[in-house]
Amino acid sequence: MKIFNSIKWRLQIWYGLILVAVLAGFGFTAYQLESNSQFRRIDNELQRRIGVLKNALHHPLPRRGQNAGRPPFDGPPRDQNFDEPPQEGPPPDPFSGDGPPEHNARRPLKFTLPEQDIHFFDVSDPHNFYFIIDSSREGPELAHSTNAPPRPQERIAIRSEPVNSVSPRLLEPPSLKFSNYHARREILDILPSGEWMRVGCFITPELSELRSIAIFLTLVGGFILLVGLAGGWWLVSRSLHPITRISATAVKISAGDLSQRINVAEAESELGQLAAVLNSTFARLETAFAQQKQFASDAAHELRTPVTVILTQTQMALARERDAASYKQTIEACQRAAQRMRRLIESLLELARFDAGQEVLKRMDFDFGKTVSDSVELVQTLAEEKSVKIISEASPLEISGDAVRLAQVVTNLLTNAIQYNRPGGEVRVELDSENGLAVLKISDTGQGIAPDDLSRVFERFYRADQSRTGAGNAGLGLAICKAIVEAHGGTLEVASELQRGTTFTVRLSLAS
Amino acid sequence: MRILVVEDEPDLLASLAQALREEGYAVDTAANGDDGLFNAEGTDYDAIVLDVMLPGMDGWEILKRLRKTKKTPVLMLTARDQTRDRVKGLDTGADDYVVKPFDLEEVFARLRAIIRRSANKTTNVIEIGDVIIDTAARQVLFQRKPVELTAREYSLVEFMALHRGEVVTRTQLYEHLFDENDSTLSNLLDVHVSNVRKKLGAEFIATRRGHGYCIE
Repeated sequence: MKIFNSIKWRLQIWYGLILVAVLAGFGFTAYQLESNSQFRRIDNELQRRIGVLKNALHHPLPRRGQNAGRPPFDGPPRDQNFDEPPQEGPPPDPFSGDGPPEHNARRPLKFTLPEQDIHFFDVSDPHNFYFIIDSSREGPELAHSTNAPPRPQERIAIRSEPVNSVSPRLLEPPSLKFSNYHARREILDILPSGEWMRVGCFITPELSELRSIAIFLTLVGGFILLVGLAGGWWLVSRSLHPITRISATAVKISAGDLSQRINVAEAESELGQLAAVLNSTFARLETAFAQQKQFASDAAHELRTPVTVILTQTQMALARERDAASYKQTIEACQRAAQRMRRLIESLLELARFDAGQEVLKRMDFDFGKTVSDSVELVQTLAEEKSVKIISEASPLEISGDAVRLAQVVTNLLTNAIQYNRPGGEVRVELDSENGLAVLKISDTGQGIAPDDLSRVFERFYRADQSRTGAGNAGLGLAICKAIVEAHGGTLEVASELQRGTTFTVRLSLAS
Repeated sequence: MRILVVEDEPDLLASLAQALREEGYAVDTAANGDDGLFNAEGTDYDAIVLDVMLPGMDGWEILKRLRKTKKTPVLMLTARDQTRDRVKGLDTGADDYVVKPFDLEEVFARLRAIIRRSANKTTNVIEIGDVIIDTAARQVLFQRKPVELTAREYSLVEFMALHRGEVVTRTQLYEHLFDENDSTLSNLLDVHVSNVRKKLGAEFIATRRGHGYCIE
């Protein structure tokens, strides 16, 4: 499903689940705490009444005077409970075989609640406290308050809990048992004399209060959940917004508009850094694309002229019958055009191979000085044609590299130096070793290259003149030279001074 | 019709010039920008074929300078077919352009069109009395019958027809019918005029003594 693939939705769902878990934990704990404190209060009340009943059962008359002056609910119930035990010492062990409880077992069975204790079991109290005293577990009933519920089966405990799980009063005898019935809570005390004494009350008010607390907690929790989800949605949307922008830009770029950039508003954030990285990648892509486009367009442009020559020559020749000499002329012109195209295509392929790193150099140690003087000899005819003098100082120098390729570089640089020279000018060739490198300098005394053009002379199809100065010179020569030298790990640099001349410097590593 | 071709690629220049001559034009050539501008400013050509990429002064520069003095129709030859380049050419004052590589037929047609436009004619067909001249087919009908004319004679008729109602001087005719390589013998023009009169009727070309010729 799409919704689960969206980071926004996934974040939102996780966030919502965590929020629900936290709220439910808090709500449940709050409910439990409240419920425990309610029950503890009830249990204290019940214990207090057990104490009262026990007193009344064992010391019906002596207790009366003591308690007479006391207001019914004076002081905390605990105190009252603790008042009693000193009379008997520590709470008796219900299972101990002898002691005073043994005598009590044979007391008269009839029991009446002393007058001063009646208020403990007031019917008008919303809790409606009641008591039931049985002679034994199944034995006949000794006494019960008027409001005691009938004795149906349901009196059998649905849930009984050890007192110490709810009450901190660990000193209670184990015989003390709290039980919950439908809407009642009962405490059962098995007296050492064998009587089963039950005190209970209706906990309807507590239950309804707990229910309202539960409803209140649910409502508050739901509200917090809604607010939290809305806030979360806002936060997630806000933090994902840059991603939306980035992807929108990327879509535009993949559609072909490479000039698009991501608007980086917060450069410091993680996404801002990502955007910056992407932007610089886009910029490099754009440059590379533009160069590629320019290269293809230049290549096509260079091919246009020879194709035009072939088209016009052949169309003209075919327009009417001609003599053999005229056909020969046409064919020669077409041949020149085709050769020009061949040279161009070879240069282009050569560059493409260097670009792709496919050009394999046949590396070996050879005498670069010999290569230089061979190349000088090769261009001597051209130099004489242009009345240019070549002054060569090439001493033997062993370097490691592809001899054929490097000879191509030297010849190309020499040809340029002659062609762009002034008549009667000179070309100076120097080869020397310098800091462990072979340094070849070829200087001419030509026009020089303007500083603006100097940085571009190695660009493909770049000609300072912007026009063909000779058929076949497509402006690829220097680009190829640079590619060859760089494939050897060397450098090719140019320095020029207008009206004084230009110097190309090749640096190559010496043979090891 | 006299045309100047400025192009630096020698093979292309040679074939263009020859093809245009065979079309009946008088053709001058220039292999670089400076010569091209010199020729263009010095002679009233009927049209100039101008390459954009030239050593020395480039095509744009020639056009810009030429437009200061002359309205000669110019057909640009460009190797770049980007809209930017075409717009630049037309805005600088070129009348039309052809993108390399081109077909000779297209160059001819565009040349005819810019020459016609510069003479304020909208069609290829000019009717003068019984004479109908089809400049696209380079054919002349006299009384609905085709007339055989030499290339020079046709050029004379076409030039006169395009300047109908004007007095055309002998100098003008020499300039437009012969290129710099022709030997301009003084009576050559008279021979052509008399031949045309024989073929299209004596009253077709009137002589304005002391001024030149005229087609009414």
